Amino acid sequence: MATIRKSVESLATPGILRRRTGAEAEKLERPLEPGVASVQAIGYGRFALATVGACLALLVATLLMNVLVDPFAIAGTGLLPTAVEADRTVKLDLIRKLERSPDIVILGSSRARQGEPSFLTQLTGETAFNAAVTGGTAADAWVTARYVNDRFPRKPHHYIWFVDAGIATKGINPQLAEDPRGKRYLAGKGVSFTLADVGTYIGPQASLASWRVLKKCLLHSCKARLRYLPDGAIARPTLRYLPEHAASLQNSISRLVDAVRAHPPRKPNTNPARYRFFERTLAFMNAHGIRPVIVLNPIHPKVLAVLRKHGFAQRRASLAYLHALHRRYDFVVVDGEDISRWGGSPQQFTNATHINRRNMRRLLRYVVAHSDGALR
Amino acid sequence: MLFNSYLFLFGFLPPVLVGCWALRQKNLRLAFLTLSSWFFYAWWDWRFLPLMLSTTMVDYVAALALQHTDDERRRRLLLIGSLSINLSLLGYFKYAGFFVGSLNGIGRALGAPVDLPDLHILLPIGISFYTFNSMSYTIDVFRRRVTPTKHLLEYTTFVALFPHLIAGPIVRFTDLAEQLRRPRPSLTSKAASVGLFFLACGLTKKLLIADQLNPYVDRLFAHSGDLGFLTSWAAAFGYSLQLYFDFSGYSDMAVGLAWLIGFRFPQNFNSPFKAQNISDFWRRWHMSLSAWFRDYLFIPLGGSRRGPARTTINLVLTMFLAGLWHGAAWTFVVWGLFHGVLLGTHGLLRKLGLTPSSVFFNRAVTFLFVVAAFVIFRAPDLGTAGTILSSMLGFGGLDHAGALHTFLPARFLILLGALLVFVHAAPNTWQIRARPRIVYGLATGTAAAIAIMTIASPHPFIYFQF
Repeated sequence: MATIRKSVESLATPGILRRRTGAEAEKLERPLEPGVASVQAIGYGRFALATVGACLALLVATLLMNVLVDPFAIAGTGLLPTAVEADRTVKLDLIRKLERSPDIVILGSSRARQGEPSFLTQLTGETAFNAAVTGGTAADAWVTARYVNDRFPRKPHHYIWFVDAGIATKGINPQLAEDPRGKRYLAGKGVSFTLADVGTYIGPQASLASWRVLKKCLLHSCKARLRYLPDGAIARPTLRYLPEHAASLQNSISRLVDAVRAHPPRKPNTNPARYRFFERTLAFMNAHGIRPVIVLNPIHPKVLAVLRKHGFAQRRASLAYLHALHRRYDFVVVDGEDISRWGGSPQQFTNATHINRRNMRRLLRYVVAHSDGALR
Repeated sequence: MLFNSYLFLFGFLPPVLVGCWALRQKNLRLAFLTLSSWFFYAWWDWRFLPLMLSTTMVDYVAALALQHTDDERRRRLLLIGSLSINLSLLGYFKYAGFFVGSLNGIGRALGAPVDLPDLHILLPIGISFYTFNSMSYTIDVFRRRVTPTKHLLEYTTFVALFPHLIAGPIVRFTDLAEQLRRPRPSLTSKAASVGLFFLACGLTKKLLIADQLNPYVDRLFAHSGDLGFLTSWAAAFGYSLQLYFDFSGYSDMAVGLAWLIGFRFPQNFNSPFKAQNISDFWRRWHMSLSAWFRDYLFIPLGGSRRGPARTTINLVLTMFLAGLWHGAAWTFVVWGLFHGVLLGTHGLLRKLGLTPSSVFFNRAVTFLFVVAAFVIFRAPDLGTAGTILSSMLGFGGLDHAGALHTFLPARFLILLGALLVFVHAAPNTWQIRARPRIVYGLATGTAAAIAIMTIASPHPFIYFQF
């Protein structure tokens, strides 16, 4: 035992030990000076300068690289293609090239990109165009609706607008703000490089994205990954669930379920400024005799179960908001969150948040059937 | 405001450092540090600042009153008054909801019509830490071990100093008294180097190790029912390492920040996983808390002077309260009691001369018990803890290939293996005695920069909840 005690004491940190006095001897010694401070040497100044210098140099270099490559199109340097899909410009270009006005326009985020205009035509007999874009927000919907209206004035249009539980309020995408057509309709309400963006561009996600962009441009080409048909549909979509995707789908669902459990979504910010573009777009559509169909995006059943377990305050708040809006605007709400309502399959997801084309067809069939005549 | 946030590192810290060293006059500097620390605290929720100020003033006045009287009865009343106020505030904010919930639960179990309304009380951040700091001062003054300061700014700085304010280490007035009385005139290059070194080590531990383990551990605990023998042990090891690197990382940052503003804090971790018995573990893990409970609870209860039975009872009672200090939940209570029983058993075995002599065996057994106990500490409820512990004992069977593939990706296993070797073989931050070479400075700065890059989505420190 004495040996053990001795060896324990020998492990105690070197340095100045402060012993207490008192009735019982102090067994627990807590030094105030660490070993590194007990080294008698010159060069502490150079050590401190090297530490601060290396740290700042690395951070500044990373920031500069990411601003130059601009993988998320935040800084607007535009030297290289972005890591995220540059589909806003593509979709606006496709609208410009359309020879005749589409009867139905699909709006929304990447979750709505699987919607096939040709399938809508089969269902309704009307022509259609898919204007959904990556991370699409109400500002995108606003610009698209205005642009379609300006491009084909005096032509009636119908809209199917896919939104998530946050009602597409995530601000203005820098790509949209940079596009001349976006600038025109946003009236200078663009984006600027903020302090929060500095944080994003110091972070590892941005550096990895920059690396991917650089690698792709150096080794292959700088062209965009996705291709679109003239009607805005994805050229080579995932038509059906593939068995080899099973593991990645399950992993994606597990990750999202874990994330929801760890950080359950809170009630959204009800600041009216957040909904400015959403309401402005509804007002614009109603003013042109359009009654849009707003579709709540589907959620994978496993994720939905966890969200419901945590109260899903976001959904309740969004539904209450939409209900309140009915007093001022005319629109139809189709709730597609629960896939069992429209016969969706839990396997027909490309990942935890995106349904594939086969499920999208089922959803579109349901939307058309429950659109209360708004698509005719 | 988190230490691991851009706001703290680039918005709060630089002006505080400049202000601190620009103000050479003692009162101005202490006032500046107090106000900065209050601002740091109020950033989280300004409504709780008056609560901290009340605790500060109560103990400041009580200590001065204790100094001015020799009447033992009056002194005792003053101490009881001060402790009652401190403990009442702590009890209300931290434990009221727990006790109401527990009473309702007991009532329902007994079929009694007890249905007290649920209390939704927000826990003020750091209340356990600053209350214990402040209480130790009054008790030390009562014991005549400390001469109370009349200088209000010295006392407000002692309680509120931002590096230790919200998650320790629990400093005593004796630790800082002289440093507050005679603040250092300037920041030396040595102090700056030590401060930066500790800050960089802390950031690295927290951001590059603890936060990297977090998603794997969260996932394992979220699927407690699906865990087999290997995955349950991985959950236990993973969380133990995450907690150690998280909290010791925070303590390193606190020590580094203290050095940068001219203070010295005592060591809080001394390679706890190298402990050779459970008593040794508590001399190495959260040392400031262990010392607090020993000096202000265990020894006043009689310590180990009244025979083995009483010593065991004192240990169990002390550890029960230490567990409860960590949080108002039955998991913490059981965790504390488990450690109390381990300490009592170890004490008895040592008295009987039945402790093994093999250092390797002692370290391994101690480590396994500590890791198993952390499962109770981490689990959301006792049922989950029981499920994981039974899987660790083999009652959940071996894991099937799918579970191993899902829960134990290669990256997690490599990280776990490397960290297990590291905590058992490498020296801790306090033991490193490197010479201040430029190349080491470059390495330290690079590590800090890489850690800072991962801040984009910060995780709060685990010990903030306590």
